[in-house]
Amino acid sequence: MNRNTKITQELLEFVERCLNKTASNEELKKFEHKLKNDQEFKAQVADIKTLLFGIESQVLKEKLDDFHEELVDVPSSKTVPVKSIYFRKIAVAAILIIALGSFWFLSQNTNDKLYAKYFIPDPGLATTMSENTNFEFYDAMVNYKQKDYKTAINKWNELLKTKPENDTLNYFIGVAHLADKSENQSIQFLEKVTSTTKSVFKNEAYYYLALAYLKADNVELAKKNLTFSSVDNSKALLYELND
Amino acid sequence: MQAVKIKPKQNIKSNQFIEAIKVNDIVALKHLYKINYPKVEVLVLKNNGTKEHAKDIFQDAFLALWKNVKQDKFVPQNESSINGYLYTIAKHKWMDYLRSKDYKKTVVSSALTDTAALDDDLNKTTDDNINDERLQNVMHAFKGLGAPCKDLLMKFYFEKKSMKDIAEELQLDAASTRNKKYRCMQKLRELALNLK
Repeated sequence: MNRNTKITQELLEFVERCLNKTASNEELKKFEHKLKNDQEFKAQVADIKTLLFGIESQVLKEKLDDFHEELVDVPSSKTVPVKSIYFRKIAVAAILIIALGSFWFLSQNTNDKLYAKYFIPDPGLATTMSENTNFEFYDAMVNYKQKDYKTAINKWNELLKTKPENDTLNYFIGVAHLADKSENQSIQFLEKVTSTTKSVFKNEAYYYLALAYLKADNVELAKKNLTFSSVDNSKALLYELND
Repeated sequence: MQAVKIKPKQNIKSNQFIEAIKVNDIVALKHLYKINYPKVEVLVLKNNGTKEHAKDIFQDAFLALWKNVKQDKFVPQNESSINGYLYTIAKHKWMDYLRSKDYKKTVVSSALTDTAALDDDLNKTTDDNINDERLQNVMHAFKGLGAPCKDLLMKFYFEKKSMKDIAEELQLDAASTRNKKYRCMQKLRELALNLK
């Protein structure tokens, strides 16, 4: 890194936009041109890249210990002997009281809890910059990945006007609505995908549809849709719902 | 959209998983960690190592894998090729450690250098690539940054949250958040430069 070059806020934000592919075509052209012809700019970009990558690397490094803790966190109930039978009886009684109490207390929002446990937004499709015939689609995908679901939905809705039956669009609009906490709106889009005879997203669509119904407290329809999906989590969720 | 549809399904899923790793999706990264750690632990325990060794070796290998995937130095075909690659890096690292002079007398992490082949990849210091020493400086500097800056930069660059969401969390307007972020970056750069 070079102490003598100054990286201004404007420069930093411009380079960031170009690196994370949210820059306009014009900006990208300017970026490419400067990169070829301006040695100082080239060094500044390298600096920024190193900073960004360094932040990500260090954050991940610090997170690995958390991952590890979860891994070894096996309940070791066998190693805790309950010494007397009398004590054991009291313990059982206490646990029962707590369990019944918490059941009463928690049962009202079990669906929300299960939803929170199982809902992870679809990671989306890979966005590549070059030669994309579907620029608008992938442009919205970038917003989606940045969790700016409203913008993504608006952009995709525009595309949907010309291709109302497109399963890819319906699927991602549905999932984006769900991630944006509007499960009722997501249902109509996802149902369109599940009713498409040949869609690569069908399996996932059933799963997210089930989650949307679960969020809307319609457990029966949630279960029904889960039976059609072979996504890894659907069996586990179905099992918990039937429990 | 047609192009997306004709791809085999398996491919889409693999791409999604790889993409998830690249955007630091915690669920995907955790999954990768949980699936692969046990095998490496068995390997290390069977070869004169302890659980602590296994953890250090694995975490080093995990970071190396993530870095290579992010920079497209390793382009996995599917999830199992990722798992295989991770195991291979860990194995090489452990073998390196066993061969090293430091074996038995020093802390593991200091002896854990990347394997030769991987080192070659990582240390090609063309301007386009990220120089490993500078990267280490930035990582070290980030550790020493104050909590508010660390938190802000983490949300922005690791979690890839939108400026809007971060501004809302901080109860600031967008312009002040952007400025705050910039000042944190300046501080980080300053710290990293001083480590030279």
